[in-house]
Amino acid sequence: MSAVEQPTMSRRGWLLSERPASRWQASLGRAYATWRRFLANRLGVFGLFIIIVLLSIAAFADQLATYSPVAGDLKNARLLPPSAQHWLGTDDLGRDIYSRIIYGSRLTLVVVMLVAVIAAPVGLLVGTVAGYAGGWTDSVLMRVTDIFLAFPKLILALSFVAALGPGIENAVLAIAITAWPPYARIARAETLTVRSSDYIKVVQQMGASPFRIVLRHIMPMCNSSLIVRVTLDMAGIILTAAGLGFVGLGAQPPLPEWGAMIASGRRFILDQWWVAAMPGMAILIVSLGFNLLGEGLRDALDPRSSDQ
Amino acid sequence: MMMENIAFRSRRWLAGTALSAMLMAAAPAFAVTPADTLVEGFAIDDIITMDPGEAFELSAAEVSANIYDLLVRSDLADTSKFKGDLAESWTISDDRLTYTFKLKPDLKFASGNPVTAEDVAWSFERLVKLDKSPAFILGQFGLNGDNVAEKAKAAAPDTFVFTVDKPYAPSFVLNCLSSTVAAVVDKQVVLEHIKPVTPSVDYKYDNDFGNDWLKTHTAGSGPFKLREWRANEAVVIDRNDSYWGEKAKLARVVYRHMKESSAQRLALEVGDIDVARNLEPNDLDAMAENVNITIASAPKGTVYYISLNQKNPNLAKPEVRQAFKYLIDYDAIGSTLIKGIGEIHQTFLPKGVLGELDENPFKLDVAKAKGLLEKAGLKDGLSVTMDVRNSQPVTGIAESIQQTAGEAGIKIEIIPGDDKQTLTKYRARNHDIYIGQWGQDYFDPNSNSQTFASNPDNSDDGRVQTLAWRNAWDLPDLTKETEAALLEKDSAKRSEMYRHLQKEVLDNSPFALIYQQIEVAGVRSNVNGFKLGPSFDTNFVGNITKE
Repeated sequence: MSAVEQPTMSRRGWLLSERPASRWQASLGRAYATWRRFLANRLGVFGLFIIIVLLSIAAFADQLATYSPVAGDLKNARLLPPSAQHWLGTDDLGRDIYSRIIYGSRLTLVVVMLVAVIAAPVGLLVGTVAGYAGGWTDSVLMRVTDIFLAFPKLILALSFVAALGPGIENAVLAIAITAWPPYARIARAETLTVRSSDYIKVVQQMGASPFRIVLRHIMPMCNSSLIVRVTLDMAGIILTAAGLGFVGLGAQPPLPEWGAMIASGRRFILDQWWVAAMPGMAILIVSLGFNLLGEGLRDALDPRSSDQ
Repeated sequence: MMMENIAFRSRRWLAGTALSAMLMAAAPAFAVTPADTLVEGFAIDDIITMDPGEAFELSAAEVSANIYDLLVRSDLADTSKFKGDLAESWTISDDRLTYTFKLKPDLKFASGNPVTAEDVAWSFERLVKLDKSPAFILGQFGLNGDNVAEKAKAAAPDTFVFTVDKPYAPSFVLNCLSSTVAAVVDKQVVLEHIKPVTPSVDYKYDNDFGNDWLKTHTAGSGPFKLREWRANEAVVIDRNDSYWGEKAKLARVVYRHMKESSAQRLALEVGDIDVARNLEPNDLDAMAENVNITIASAPKGTVYYISLNQKNPNLAKPEVRQAFKYLIDYDAIGSTLIKGIGEIHQTFLPKGVLGELDENPFKLDVAKAKGLLEKAGLKDGLSVTMDVRNSQPVTGIAESIQQTAGEAGIKIEIIPGDDKQTLTKYRARNHDIYIGQWGQDYFDPNSNSQTFASNPDNSDDGRVQTLAWRNAWDLPDLTKETEAALLEKDSAKRSEMYRHLQKEVLDNSPFALIYQQIEVAGVRSNVNGFKLGPSFDTNFVGNITKE
C-alpha cells in the first residue's frame, strides 16, 4: 500500500508528515513549518526582502557603483544636487553619494555581522554557564553583566573607542563589548527554565559532563530566542555604529560609512539637504529591514505560539 | 478692545517665545536688536580670561583692543608704518637700545584717573612678572622680573622709557609693542583689587597684580569698557563716556556666543544679530543674494599648512618634500573648501606683513610628483599617517590631499583628534604629517620667520620649539639669517632678507603652505562702518553706527 502511495505524496506532505521517518525529516519539517509561519507575516517578509537586497548590493557593489566611492572631483562636482549623472547628488568633496552608499553597505554589514558573531556567543556562553552552574558562579557572572547593563550603550561604546582609538575595528569591538549583556540575560533565563527538566536529568544520569550538557543540551534551547534578539538588535547596532561614525570615532575617512557621511553632510543641511539625507535614508531603510525581520522571526520561532 | 486683543496676543506670543527660548536652553532670541546696540554672533568659547597680561586668545584680543589703549598701533592704511595711540611721539636712540615715548596730554582712563607713564611702566612690569603665555612678546627684549622696573620705567609723568638688550630692528620692537599684551592698565584701580599670594619658587611675588580681578573686569582707557563676560554665553561692552578721543557711536556691543555657522546665518537672516562672524563657505554662498546682508572681509595673519616630520626617513628625502607640494590641489581647494574664507598662499608671511613674498609657484601635478617619488627610490609609493583636527575646513583639506596623494601612490591614513590630542602629538614630534594653522603672535615678520625658518637646537629637548623644530628640520643657515634679519635696522633691507627666507622655505622646507585665512563677516545692511582689520586685535567697533 505504501509502495503505491509514496510517489503521490507531495513534498509538502512529506515535510509536514505527522510521523517523520528520520531525525532529518523531522528537523526539516520543523524548519518548513517555521518558514511557513514566517511567510504568513507580510512585514517580516518585507524585512527579509530588504536584507536580501542589502546583501546583494554589498555583493555586487563593484558592478552597481557608478563612480569611485573615495575619489571625487572636488573642483567640478562639489555638492551637486541629485541628477542623471549623480543619482543621489555629490558630497562636499565631489564624491558620488550613490556610489558611497553602495560601498557603505559593505561596512554596515561587516559591522553588524562581526558584532553578532562576537557578542552573541559571548552572551550565550556567559548566560548558559551562569544559569546552569548557579550559586557563586551565577552571582559573579550576572553582577558583571549588570555592571555592563548599567551604562547607556552608546556612552559605554564611546568610552571604549576613546580608549582604544578611533577606527572601524575598534568600533566593532566596542559595540560587541556593550552588546553581549542582554544576550547573557536571555540565555540565563532560558537555561533556568530547562535546567531542572527531565531530559537534562537523564543526560546527567548518563554521566555527561557539565560542559557537554551546556553545549549540546542547553544552548540549542536558547538559540531561537537569541536569534530573534540579535536580529532585533541589529538595527540598534547599525545606529550605534553610525553614531560612532557621526562623532568621528567610527570608520575613518575616506571610508564611506553612513554615519560619518551624515556627520559631514550636517554642515550643508540648509542648502544641500541630500548630503545628509541620503545616507540617513539608507540607515533608516536597513534598520527598518532588520526590525521587521526580527519581528517576523520572533513570531515564527516563538515556541509558545508554535503549533507543534 | 482691538488694542487689548493685540496686547493679549503679543503677550502670549512673548511668553511662547520666552518658553521656547528656555526650552532650547540657548541664548534667548531677540526679535530686533536695539538701535544703540550692536550684536555680533561670534564663537567666543576660546576666551579664558580678559586680563590683557594673560589672554592669548583671538576673541579676547579683539575685545581687549576695544577696551585698552597701547602706546603705538600699526597704521591700518599702511601696516609698515605706526601711529601713536597713547604716545604722541617717540624717539629711538642711535644705538637702537632705548625707546623714549612721550604721552599725549589729558589722557584719561575709564575710571577718570589720568593716564601717566607710571601706569605704562606698571603695566609692563605686571605683564613680565605675571609671566603668563603672552609675556614672551615683551620678554624677548631681555626683560625679566628682576630688571623690568629698570628697563621699562617712567622718566617723567608723560615720558616712558623702554630699554631693549640688542639693537633690534625698530619695526620689530614697535610691532611687538602694538600687540594687545602691551595694553596699558589703570594702576590705581587694579591696585585696589590685588589679591595676596604666598610666594613660591615659581612665583616669587606676594600678590597677583590684580590678575584674578582683571579676569572678569577691565581697567582700560579705550573707547569701550567691559560690562560683563559670561563664559560661552556673551561678552558685553559699554561705551566709555569719558574716553579721551573720539567717543564710540554705539552705546553697547554684545558678542553673543554662537558656535555653528548655520545658526549664525539663521539668526542673521531674521535679524536676531547684526553681524555673523564665523560663517562657512556654503553659508556665505547662500547669503550672497540676500539684499539685507553685506559681506565684509579682510585677510588675516593666519596661514594653513601641512608639514612632514623629518624624523620619518621617507619624508626627509628632499624629493618627497617637493613631491608633496605638487600633490595638493590648490585650485580646487581655493575654489571650494575655503572659498571666501581663505586664499591660496604658499609663502609663510601672510599678506600685509613687511617683506611678504607673493608667489604661488606650486600646482597640482601628479605626474611630476610621481617622477620625484621615483627619483627618491619610492616608485611603489609609501604609507604615512596624517594627524587631523576634527574641524572644518581642515578635515576637508586633509581628505582632498588624501585623494590627490593617493593618485601618486602615497597612502595617507587620517588620524582624527581634537585640538589637544593632535597638538600634543605634534609638539612631541611623534607625527608623520600634520595639518594645521599658524597665527602670528604679533604683527611682525619675525613671528612667522622664527617659527618656519629657524631651529636653534634640533635635539629632542631643544628649548626653542619652533614649527621647524616640531618637524625636526635642521636648518642652521636659515636660523642665522632669521636672527640677522631681526637686527637689521633698514626696513627695505630687512624685508629683502625675509623675501629670501620665504623663497628658501618655499623651495626646500618640509612645509607646504596652502592658504592664508580671510576673515569674513556677514553684516546686516543697516550697520555702517563695520570693518575688519588685518589682525584680530584690529577689529574695532568704535566707528560703527546703525540706521
